[in-house]
Amino acid sequence: MSRSIQYTSSPLLASRTPVWRSKFVVAMIALGFSGLGARAAYIQIFNNDFFQHQGVVRFARTIELPANRGRVLDRNGLILASSVPAASIWAIPEDVDMTPAQAQQLAKLLDMRVSDLGKKLADEDKTFVWVKRQVDTDTAKAISALELKGIHQSADYVRQYPEGESAAHIVGFTNVEDKGQEGVELFFNRALTGKSGLRHVIKDGRGRVVEDVGAVVPPLPGEDVQLSIDSKIQFFAYQKLKEAVVNNRAHAGSVVVLDANTGELLAMANYPSYNPQKRANLSGEQLRNRALTDTFEPGSVMKPFTIGIGLETGRVKPETVIDTAPGSVSITGVTIRDAHPHGALSVEQIIQVSSNVGTTKIAMQLQPSEMWTTFAAAGFGERPNIEFKGAVSGRLRPYKTWRPIEQATASYGYGLSASLFQMVRSYTVFSHDGQIIPATLMKTENPAVGAPVFSTETAAKIRKMLHMAAGPGGTGPKAQTIGYSVGGKSGTAYKQIGKGYGSDGNRKYRSWFVGMAPIDKPRIIVGVMLDEPSAGKYFGGEVAAPVFSELVQHSLRIMGVQPDISVRPQIFAASEDESF
Amino acid sequence: MTRINALLVLALVATAIYLVRVQYESRRLFSELDKAHSQARHLAMDVERLEVEKRAQASPGRVERLAREKLDMRQPTPAITTYMSYPNNTLAQTAKADKP
Repeated sequence: MSRSIQYTSSPLLASRTPVWRSKFVVAMIALGFSGLGARAAYIQIFNNDFFQHQGVVRFARTIELPANRGRVLDRNGLILASSVPAASIWAIPEDVDMTPAQAQQLAKLLDMRVSDLGKKLADEDKTFVWVKRQVDTDTAKAISALELKGIHQSADYVRQYPEGESAAHIVGFTNVEDKGQEGVELFFNRALTGKSGLRHVIKDGRGRVVEDVGAVVPPLPGEDVQLSIDSKIQFFAYQKLKEAVVNNRAHAGSVVVLDANTGELLAMANYPSYNPQKRANLSGEQLRNRALTDTFEPGSVMKPFTIGIGLETGRVKPETVIDTAPGSVSITGVTIRDAHPHGALSVEQIIQVSSNVGTTKIAMQLQPSEMWTTFAAAGFGERPNIEFKGAVSGRLRPYKTWRPIEQATASYGYGLSASLFQMVRSYTVFSHDGQIIPATLMKTENPAVGAPVFSTETAAKIRKMLHMAAGPGGTGPKAQTIGYSVGGKSGTAYKQIGKGYGSDGNRKYRSWFVGMAPIDKPRIIVGVMLDEPSAGKYFGGEVAAPVFSELVQHSLRIMGVQPDISVRPQIFAASEDESF
Repeated sequence: MTRINALLVLALVATAIYLVRVQYESRRLFSELDKAHSQARHLAMDVERLEVEKRAQASPGRVERLAREKLDMRQPTPAITTYMSYPNNTLAQTAKADKP
């Protein structure tokens, strides 16, 4: 009898199964298990990395934590520029399937023409196209409510400039990538730009974040930048400049308001300007910060420096009389003239009536090196150290190349050039007891430390002369204000037309006024420049001085400075007879 | 002996189930926390947006225009301003420093 396995004791159920069969089954099962074991070892030990990685790819995500760009603030903490959330609309042209009515709706929401929208979505080969970037959140919500196929949104930021065009040249703007392109946005781009953070997370099947993996790198928001600008003064300055440019039918204009104690720039405006939020079709004319980038011959504004050297070196005194008759003087064959002949004038009166002849006669007693040194110390011919990219240096040729006639013209501000900002800053020499102080666009509390150019006495004497120049009998009486004593110098120059300065009846002018107030202890220095005023009036004392006057009065009031000259009060207490 | 084993098996199963539950709960809470965080971020951005909007509404240009056109106001001049001095006490020194 062959060997067999007995499964039961009942003879009825006795089967004749060969032993090898059960052994075979056991062997197969064992083989199956060892197969599983081998596979497990393969996954867990030999090829572990690959499977780990595949797992991570399926549930782990790295999320970028965006960092906000810093804000730009004015001196009182008011926002000049800030980033706010926005949405960018993009599309997969292939998927887009809109009815004409829907297209019309979308175009209307996006403030685009239907044809432009159609053009963007026409190329079906593209898999991605920006429809419009940085639309505001309300529009974005309205668009998502339309539920258009193939139109998507992604979160974005947009820069807002609440001051708009009045502070555009100072604040500048950023591009769609949030990088500074102009002004403060450009100069402080690195500080303003934040550093985005990172976060590794595990997401579940529904895309919810369920766990953090490892350490979170927090985003580093950009720093806020606080400027010295006062938005109230800035706005007023822009407003008054705009009015003056329009009323005088001028080509352009600039104003600069500088704090005479700290060197802080309180306002700087140019016209024409632009809205930093709507930058389509901008021209260089609008973009340029003329106060810093455009130079011109400073003209009469230089005379106080020339006279200052004369006073400082003891060659003249304020009362010294100089004969300017017959209103012209000849230097190596070239004649220098005054607008009106004056006769004998004291040094004070030379500034008051702005006599070229008188200034030249004083300059002829000076060494070219003395004049050059003083002009250079006052910041002429040197790029101003200010937080702005693109400020120009102007031109001041080395004195060794000066011919006598050039020394003479330089004494009354021709043959050299400077920006309006440089002129305003140079006047800190007179406002700050003979010291030139550095100007800044940053808010500071400390009085500026200056470098001496003149003595305190000389500065005071020049201030008195500037006061006379802005008074009755001077060249700029329209600079006077109610309540505050002012002093300053006007300038008017022919602009070059081709190779010459044009001929009578066909001339172009540039007019400006630089001055300070209150005159005994100046708090602000203000410069106003109008380019090509063409409404009849063109003298600096006629077109620029009134703007100066309004600006001084308004700025000092905002700064809380008490009037230093008595004002006839116009406040009357109304009284009525008591009735019985 | 068998009884203790049975008890231990029961305890093991119970803690295992509890562990799964705790894990689930922690993930749920974490995702809620995450949602709350992102909401906080959105709200913070909204605050910033509203602040900028408020600032734009209160810009000197707009205030001046409204004051002039709607309220018929005008710029004050020193002639219609009464200047007051600080009373003669410690404040006087600071006031003097401010005077031109």
